[in-house]
Amino acid sequence: MNNRLKVLRAERNWSQADLAEQLGVSRQTVNALETGRYDPSLPLAFKIARVFEQPIESIFSAQGTPR
Amino acid sequence: MNDLPRRKRLSGAASFALAISATLLLGGLAGVGSAVLGDQPGAVGFGLTAALITAALATGFVACVWWWRQIDEAAREAHKWAWWWGGSGGMAVGAVLLLTLMMRSDSQTLPESFGSTPADIFVSGMMSILLFQMAGYSLAWAGWWLKHR
Repeated sequence: MNNRLKVLRAERNWSQADLAEQLGVSRQTVNALETGRYDPSLPLAFKIARVFEQPIESIFSAQGTPR
Repeated sequence: MNDLPRRKRLSGAASFALAISATLLLGGLAGVGSAVLGDQPGAVGFGLTAALITAALATGFVACVWWWRQIDEAAREAHKWAWWWGGSGGMAVGAVLLLTLMMRSDSQTLPESFGSTPADIFVSGMMSILLFQMAGYSLAWAGWWLKHR
């Protein structure tokens, strides 16, 4: 699964630790999410969408699916 | 979806250290307690030892539940993966050693550190498997995080 977490975070000048704090996860988890090596659960994906105030489908996309 | 307010969590390392410390402390107290009280004659000493060990392990379990609630979903996934693949893999490796030793001929004696009575050898076998499982678990846990960096 692809995601735009790194871009969205950079747009807001947040560090990984800042985002981790808002999501209630560790910085390592944010890193794993950003590199696409770990796919979040549905509740965490909803939380991410809420933090960035964007719909889930604008943040996550299936691998290989054109945006 | 559950939309509860965010709870303040300790970091994974801090919560792990706290849970381990509490468990070791209670385990130590139970060990001292059983050494002192376990000397009581007959069933009383045996019962007291069993009760103290039960209390220590129950506390350890409670500490584990608390720690599990502190860590996030990726950390849980790493532990679940490590538990299954690392623990099972470690057990398989340990089983090779144990089964080989079990099928040895009578002329080949076990090292003295394994114990001399059947009960001692049984406990040594269990502890060996546990050590192999822990080694496998640790390697698999580290591997999971390296793979997901």
